Amino acid sequence: MKASFPHMGCVTGYKKLLEKLGHEVIMPDPPSQKTMELGVKYSPEFICFPFKVMMGTYIECAQKGAELIVSSGGAGPCRAGMYPDVHQKVLQELGYNTRVVVFDSLFQDFHAFYEKVKIVKNGTPNYKLLGLAKFCYNLIKKMDKLEKRMKIMRAYEINQGDFSNAWKDIVKMFEKCETTREVNRTYKKALEIFDAVPCRKVEESQRIRVGIVGEIYVIMEPTVNKNVEEILNNLGVEVENVQYISDWVEHNIVPQWLPFPKSHRVFRMSDKVAPLNCGGHDKENMGWVYDFAKRGFDGVVHLMPFACLPELVNLGKFPAISKELNMPIMSLSLDEQMGEAHVKTRLEAFTDLIKSKHFAKQRSTIGDAIGLKAQSAARKVGSKAQEVKDNLAPAPHTPAKQLTK
Amino acid sequence: MKIGIPRALLFQFYYPLWRSLFERLGCEVVVSDASTKNLVQKGIAVTVPEICFPIKIYNGHVINLMEKGVDYIFCPRFVHIEKGYWFCPKYIGLPELVWKTIPGAKLLTIDIDCCREDTADIKCYLSLAKKLGVSNHDFKAALKGAAEDFEKFRSLCIRGLTLDEAAEVMFEGKKFEDFDIPKFETTIGLLGYIYNVYDPFISMNIIKKLRELDVNVITFDMIDPNDLLRHRSEETRRIFWTFPDKLYQAATVMIKDMNVQGLIHITAFGCGPDSIVGKEIEHDYADSGVPFMTLRIDEHTGESHLQTRIEAFTDMIKRKIRKVNER
Repeated sequence: MKASFPHMGCVTGYKKLLEKLGHEVIMPDPPSQKTMELGVKYSPEFICFPFKVMMGTYIECAQKGAELIVSSGGAGPCRAGMYPDVHQKVLQELGYNTRVVVFDSLFQDFHAFYEKVKIVKNGTPNYKLLGLAKFCYNLIKKMDKLEKRMKIMRAYEINQGDFSNAWKDIVKMFEKCETTREVNRTYKKALEIFDAVPCRKVEESQRIRVGIVGEIYVIMEPTVNKNVEEILNNLGVEVENVQYISDWVEHNIVPQWLPFPKSHRVFRMSDKVAPLNCGGHDKENMGWVYDFAKRGFDGVVHLMPFACLPELVNLGKFPAISKELNMPIMSLSLDEQMGEAHVKTRLEAFTDLIKSKHFAKQRSTIGDAIGLKAQSAARKVGSKAQEVKDNLAPAPHTPAKQLTK
Repeated sequence: MKIGIPRALLFQFYYPLWRSLFERLGCEVVVSDASTKNLVQKGIAVTVPEICFPIKIYNGHVINLMEKGVDYIFCPRFVHIEKGYWFCPKYIGLPELVWKTIPGAKLLTIDIDCCREDTADIKCYLSLAKKLGVSNHDFKAALKGAAEDFEKFRSLCIRGLTLDEAAEVMFEGKKFEDFDIPKFETTIGLLGYIYNVYDPFISMNIIKKLRELDVNVITFDMIDPNDLLRHRSEETRRIFWTFPDKLYQAATVMIKDMNVQGLIHITAFGCGPDSIVGKEIEHDYADSGVPFMTLRIDEHTGESHLQTRIEAFTDMIKRKIRKVNER
């Protein structure tokens, strides 16, 4: 069958899986402005942005002759659970003979899940299917690991664009892999490629780090979020994204009560401000914000589609949380009207702010150290304390309050 | 003790239950004032701009109650009232949303996670007993009484009264006979959540306006809950929100069993579930021949806009009926 899938982040894994199941894969193009316009035209007006982008992608795939579109869904109170139904109806209205198959959680209704597996697996025996799933999972996991590494190292590249070009080559290399051994070999090779890229050396105290949280589709698909990660990297900021397909799979397959993967622990970190998950990744995202604050990140960028239900709940809480944690949080709500210049300007302003905050904090900690020295010296010399303080207090940055303590 | 209940979101539907419960427990129930421009503006000022209109109004009512000086503001978290059916994510995050946007609001929160429409499940409400200083035994008795009141209230609704009228019967000593339910030739189904239909600021008294235009109005709360369940089918993917599903089923009942002549879908700006339910109704009943109109309301909507549109809609329907009759 001619099969396709929505374009979300790095798609090599899905492509490999469908190919190995014997489908003819119709590769979706990364969503362009045209895709979005197409999606907006045929979607309900007030539905969330990912739906519209996916709608556009589906229509494009259907035009190319796709008969089957595979995606993942949900049954929670988030609208994503209703996507397939409405997508199917719109495709039907437009007269395409494309079937949308969506995998819900396998714990909720295993029978329905297996029925869908039967459609997609295309007659592949089950034991082979498991092997295939393992192979693809390994591939996705390795690629995600590389991507995470790239988003840290890219902040310090000397020639802008080196890493992005290297990444394109690496993706091509992974596409050619057929066995697990090849995947592992490619992984090692990719690491070597990364290490060969010339980078600045930066001290630990000079590193600026930003976490990205938000709705899974918009934070994973760079063409939709206008390349937020690359813009931040180019501004010299390390980026940590909280969602990757491999993490998502682990989060959904490993039972909740186990302490790994990390997302389970993070999930529980926000119990105080979000006792219940509202359907999407909102509770997890809130937990990540706490986690970032604990790890001393300089800021968080929160990406959400316009009027996304669960993320709106988070958005409402962020001003108070940001104050509580003393960490800047910037929310960007994305829709089809969003221009790249807008995102860039706001990110530049945000980066300036967190950078000056970062260095101000450092100066004040240096000031603290001097203050402590002054105090101990003062204890020794007794009445001469004031003199010593005056001698040691170097900078106008040193807050006077801390010295007198 | 003074307990404040904001006159927003599901207020009109559960007011009889809550009022009955708190009065039985010896608390004084204070209800916030009806939505006015001033009250809503206060809510809009503190809430994130992007969120849906009803939540902004809710915050306005919470501020209003704080100004009135109540001890607690009752803000329940709705999660389930039916297995497999959820509430909109904003209901699930509502207490924290209010707590984080309005500093100093003293909230009385319970998790409503049960399988009955009246929500009077002791396990949801029991945590209140400790906070209000009532013994568990007394609390159970009060809740039972309140549930009976709620049942009476619902039966009044199903006999054709609007929620406001039924509440008047319950608490203000009016009788069912005092209200004459108008019987006109034309019947229109009004699809909308409780806060969209009954909040005078959102709906601008749409029921009254429609009745003035000689039209019978049916809302989903006037339909027997068992009728709503009848048309649910296994074939289509279910709409997994409680009230949006009621709305969809109500549209089905209205079109198939009640032969309404038109459907008006009234929705607030930024409503997530409505964006899906509206599309589903539009798609599934495109061939039914029943005219369908969506009214989207936000803080900028003018009353004349609403008046003009419903007048045009009812005129069109009446003309259509006349034409059919002439033939």
